[in-house]
Amino acid sequence: MSVKYIPVQWNPNKWYYDAALLAGVVLFLWVFIYLTPGALGHDRPINPQIHNARAFGACAFLMLTVILCIGPLARLDRRFLPLLYNRRHFGVLTCAVALTHAFYVLNWYFAFSATDKYAAVLEANTSYGQLAGFPFESLGIFALLCLLILAATSHDFWLKFLTPPVWKSLHYLIYPAYAAIVGHVALGALQDQQNLTFAWIVCVGAGLVAGLHVAAALKEQLAGDYEGGGGDWIDICATSAMTEGYAKIAQLPDGDRVAVYLNEGRLSALSNACAHQNGPLGEGKIINCLVTCPWHGFQYNVTNGRAPAPFTEKVPTYRVRVENGTVMVHRQANPPGTYVEPVPLPSAEGAV
Amino acid sequence: MKKAPFFVGYLPVPRDLRVFLWIICALLVVGAGAAGYAVGSTQDNPGDGAFRFDYGRQTVTGVIELTPLPLLHVTEGNDRIPAGRTLMMTAGGKAGVPDRAAPLEGQLATVSGVLLERGDLDMLQLRGGQGGLRAAEGDAPAVTPEPLGRWKLTGEICDGKCLAGAMRPGRGLAHKACANLCLTGGIPPVFVSTQPVEGAEYLMVTGPDGTAMPDAAYDRVGQFITVEAEITRHGDLLVMAIDPATMEVSD
Repeated sequence: MSVKYIPVQWNPNKWYYDAALLAGVVLFLWVFIYLTPGALGHDRPINPQIHNARAFGACAFLMLTVILCIGPLARLDRRFLPLLYNRRHFGVLTCAVALTHAFYVLNWYFAFSATDKYAAVLEANTSYGQLAGFPFESLGIFALLCLLILAATSHDFWLKFLTPPVWKSLHYLIYPAYAAIVGHVALGALQDQQNLTFAWIVCVGAGLVAGLHVAAALKEQLAGDYEGGGGDWIDICATSAMTEGYAKIAQLPDGDRVAVYLNEGRLSALSNACAHQNGPLGEGKIINCLVTCPWHGFQYNVTNGRAPAPFTEKVPTYRVRVENGTVMVHRQANPPGTYVEPVPLPSAEGAV
Repeated sequence: MKKAPFFVGYLPVPRDLRVFLWIICALLVVGAGAAGYAVGSTQDNPGDGAFRFDYGRQTVTGVIELTPLPLLHVTEGNDRIPAGRTLMMTAGGKAGVPDRAAPLEGQLATVSGVLLERGDLDMLQLRGGQGGLRAAEGDAPAVTPEPLGRWKLTGEICDGKCLAGAMRPGRGLAHKACANLCLTGGIPPVFVSTQPVEGAEYLMVTGPDGTAMPDAAYDRVGQFITVEAEITRHGDLLVMAIDPATMEVSD
């Protein structure tokens, strides 16, 4: 959490995260660039510029694959949530690696010509009407532009400036970007490869991203948010299902999700969407009477949805009642930051 | 119900989570190294094409012929490029020499530069200015192409310079944009035939009736195609004048 905008709010976990990230990237590039030419054993080596372009390109593809696996992995197994915590650094580094790939390509394949290299990359191949020989460079350019936009707007300043819904929608560009990269690789590098190792890696990587997303969606669908019945008061769960310090999540008729918490034997309800990045507040935990978002640790007072001073974030609250052993929430959200008196849980002593 | 350890980024990592995260970090870092090796060490061999700087500068004299792209029929050669050879020529970078050679059509010229070589395919990259191409004294012998008839060939149109070794690898669909850029710059297109024609695997490509390679062929550069062409022998080089209407993508 940050109350003012500074480039990076460093903490030990971010240092560890970035160290592991850099170690992986440097190791990949070092092995690819310096170790494999000897292993290839070609009489005449691949041009170093092409070799380097491939190294950075393959690295960017794999980095983006891992980034896109983190989200669904964290939904399938909460132990992966720490990988989500500093994912924006992962994204910015991926953008830098992809940009390096682009510069190698631009300054080799499209240089040494009377045509300006930036014009050449768009003009040299215009066979858009065919699959084989399609100008796959355009897909790479699209993906790179997406990555640049995402990297440039990754800071919390832009999140606040654009508002979380807009920022989040913008950052869904990562999916078309990844699709474009898969197309870029499939219609480019893979077209001429006799050795199918990289083709397999691309297929497995793209399949993993798609498979994990489907698995996470299925899991959530099977687990299902409880969807309360009609009327103004929505059934959430039985009182016996509440767990001290945690929440039950339910979907309201208007599609919003509400998270009902049990804190010190009393019930309170907040919107399930964190004001930071719309993270799932209800999957968080109450720490020192503050609901703590599992994504980035943003905190809110469980009774009024306000972040503790000096922070200013607020989320909507809901009225809660208990009737016939059932926890219920009024479907109408209160304005963000509205205090609601917590409701004692009749069977709190029986709650696990 | 046992809850999973709860991670908050700015707080110490819960003890139950530490081992798991160390294992994940190790797997990712080691996996990155392994992936780098797996991808890097399985790249295809780009072949033996290369600039032959080791041969030193080559200077030969011959007759310039325009097909419309220029060829040099060597009349005074050297150990590497004997008399009787027919050379395709290029300038530095992605540029050919049609403008420099055109004024010398049918005349003797001395050319100087570095050889590119891939198997039976070679090409001379000329030095800039007069040092690379200049008129030579003497009478130029007549050059008479020998028609070999109409052929149907399967293979790939490449830019001759990258194919000959200016880039390794320098052919295929991944190289298509670069090849198109080279070809529009005046570098001779070369057809790599799956079946040798009169012993030649590499044939220079032109359009019909002494025209340059037709625009329609640019869409098929780097692709495996079948095409009909009038083939003519120019010295020891075969030139195929493709009929764009017969061009088909081959399976």
